[in-house]
Amino acid sequence: MLSVNAFSLSLDGKRLIDNLSFKIESGQVLSIMGPSGIGKSSLLNFLSGSLTSHLSASGEIYLKDQALHLLPTQERQVGLLQQMPLLFPHMSIIENLLFAIPSRVKKSERQVLAIKALARLDIENKANALPKELSGGQQARVALLRTLLAEPKYLLLDEPFSKLDPALRRDVRAFVLDEIRQANIPALLVTHDPEDAKAMEGECLELKNVTSVSAVES
Amino acid sequence: MPLKHPKQVASLLVFLLAMPIAVGLVGTVLPAFQYFPPLGSHQFSLVPWLTLFHSEEFYSSLKLTLISGIGAPLLAVWLALSLLAWGYEKPPFRRIEAMLAPILAIPHAAIAIGLLFLLSPSGWLLRLFSPWLTGFERPPNWITTQDPYALSLIFALVIKEMPYLLFVMLASLQTMQARQSLQVCRTLGYSRLTTWRKILIPQLYPIVRLPIFIVIAFSLTVVDLAMIIGPNTPSTLSVTLLRWFNAPDLSMRYIASAGAVVLMVVIAIVLAGWEFGHRVLQQLTTPERSNGKRQGATDYLVQLGAILGVLSLITAFLALLVLPMWSLTRRWRFPDALPSQWTWDNIHSAIPLLIQLSSNTLLIALAATGIACLMSLLMLESKRASYTKETPPKHHPFDWLIYVPILLPQVGFLFGVSVLMLQTNLNGSFLAIIAMHLLYVLPYVYLTLKGPYLAYQEEYLYQANRLRYQPWRNYLFIKLAMLKPALFTAFAIGFSVSVAQYLPTLIAGEGRHSTLTTEAVARAASGDRKQVGSMALLQAFFPVFVFWLSQQLPRHWTQWRLALKTSFNMRKKSSIDKK
Repeated sequence: MLSVNAFSLSLDGKRLIDNLSFKIESGQVLSIMGPSGIGKSSLLNFLSGSLTSHLSASGEIYLKDQALHLLPTQERQVGLLQQMPLLFPHMSIIENLLFAIPSRVKKSERQVLAIKALARLDIENKANALPKELSGGQQARVALLRTLLAEPKYLLLDEPFSKLDPALRRDVRAFVLDEIRQANIPALLVTHDPEDAKAMEGECLELKNVTSVSAVES
Repeated sequence: MPLKHPKQVASLLVFLLAMPIAVGLVGTVLPAFQYFPPLGSHQFSLVPWLTLFHSEEFYSSLKLTLISGIGAPLLAVWLALSLLAWGYEKPPFRRIEAMLAPILAIPHAAIAIGLLFLLSPSGWLLRLFSPWLTGFERPPNWITTQDPYALSLIFALVIKEMPYLLFVMLASLQTMQARQSLQVCRTLGYSRLTTWRKILIPQLYPIVRLPIFIVIAFSLTVVDLAMIIGPNTPSTLSVTLLRWFNAPDLSMRYIASAGAVVLMVVIAIVLAGWEFGHRVLQQLTTPERSNGKRQGATDYLVQLGAILGVLSLITAFLALLVLPMWSLTRRWRFPDALPSQWTWDNIHSAIPLLIQLSSNTLLIALAATGIACLMSLLMLESKRASYTKETPPKHHPFDWLIYVPILLPQVGFLFGVSVLMLQTNLNGSFLAIIAMHLLYVLPYVYLTLKGPYLAYQEEYLYQANRLRYQPWRNYLFIKLAMLKPALFTAFAIGFSVSVAQYLPTLIAGEGRHSTLTTEAVARAASGDRKQVGSMALLQAFFPVFVFWLSQQLPRHWTQWRLALKTSFNMRKKSSIDKK
């Protein structure tokens, strides 16, 4: 379970998010919606530990009992999926997947894991293809599988469906939800599209503008 | 690059860039006032200046420098702009575009030697037209190359500089939406050339101002080209100064230093004058832009420039063609159009020398370019780390410091730097040569890498580090691997700059280590065309080959790597099966 306690965010003394708390159970997806510039991406950056210094944020993140907000990004074991699939263009599909598998996994097993992931997409024959040879939907799915192969403890999704064309979106959404349930980790989805939130079959939080411009951060 | 202390690295790099510049300047200015401890002179004096200003050779050299140093960039800019206006996005022009990069890679000394072989009274051009047209049975008594008015030098400079400017302008046009402007103006009834004159050139000029300044500084200070094809007795100022620096009478060094200071001032004045001229021209032409005329008489100027531009490109091509011909010649009497007997003997007998020269050239070029690539990456990474998305890029000291060495006259400046090398006992070593080459290779490598490196989508690297936290490994195998095309191109450009260096090799190496360029320049005047031809040919071959590799390798790298891996895996599998 991932829990966020009393998260607040300010930019130049202006409060964007005030005292936000929520919990996400393993295998569940919490969707967060709200207008642009409200601080949704900053919340994700706070959760992944890569918030830029000009924003001031406070709050606590716990994964079960572990205090994540005290850890640097690389020790948090966070998975992040963005609009762009960010598959490395100079590596084959299977190399992209192998890249993510933790090094403690034995060599023979790594290969098996990667092939299994490809089999879930029915593209074993594309193992040695380059990312650009896949369709947009396939790239998005490979990107998710790659993220999950790194065995993250929680997953952050930053509008991962917005670049896909509408016909594809439904399939990819279902695939993502399915994979998150199988991996049984908490996931947080940030989106503009209510359909995305509905498809994730979980809670939905809507962020609104904080009206009171109180409490200048010191 | 996971740098721990980018700010400290940046300051260290600024120091490393600024130090040789400061040393070179101080080492030029102090001896000009007769202060030069290595020769035991500790007293300031104005004698060098008085001697310089009383020397007639100084004035005649300065005159030639001004003629060639202003004439060549003027012509080069005119021809490049005209070619561009005439041919942009036309099919025949695309063929010229494809030829530009290889022409740029060829060291200018090789082109100059080719021009000498082509245009001299006994050159190929006259042979082609003799005796059937000209009636000459022996070379006429004309002065075509090395003429006293520096015309052949200007021509050689234009041939070298026009493709460079054209290349830079083409790259700049991509940021300007030139095609849309042309379309809009065509629908308004403007002729193509008028559109360029009124709309595009005024926008283009500010972007290419700096490359034009580099070309002007180069024209005013070039040594090797002027030695090969420029006038002698008197020669241009930089060549005269070089002779004074190397004179057996060591007191000439003071006068030469004073002359080098003059040359620096001349560069500054000419650049200021150029900019002033541009402003005046702009003032004069601005009202003309809105007078509504769709065509103009100056269009002919553009047409003429385009014709001359094509002609000079053809000449450059012929000049390069004549190099291998001479290196394979056994017998080529005037006025035969082609050698009557061919042979491999010239090359064969020169092999030991050519191998020696080539290995020196390659060693220096590879080392200097390798170091330049590493330094550029360090500089760019510390520059990148100095700003984030929210704080936009400021002007970094790198961005102007890097230009200083290419804007200063090599003669003088390099003698100033060499004083430092004398102090550290580095003089005459390969290390010293590589260090001096670095001064000239680094700017070009840095400038080539800058755009792509700073435009890199850092998200790829962040994602890699989230998936597998190995910052250095990921920097190398994700970021740099993705930047391969830019890295390879930057390497090829740096390599060709190093191969072309003449004075840095000569001064830092104290003449102890020869490269293809120093040897070819030294022998250019000897008249042994067969040997000089082979040297110039090799000198041109290496940069063009490296450039070709730099374009081919990144394009196929991943494909070949994967193919190799699959075949390797298959072999392993079949050997396991056999067991």
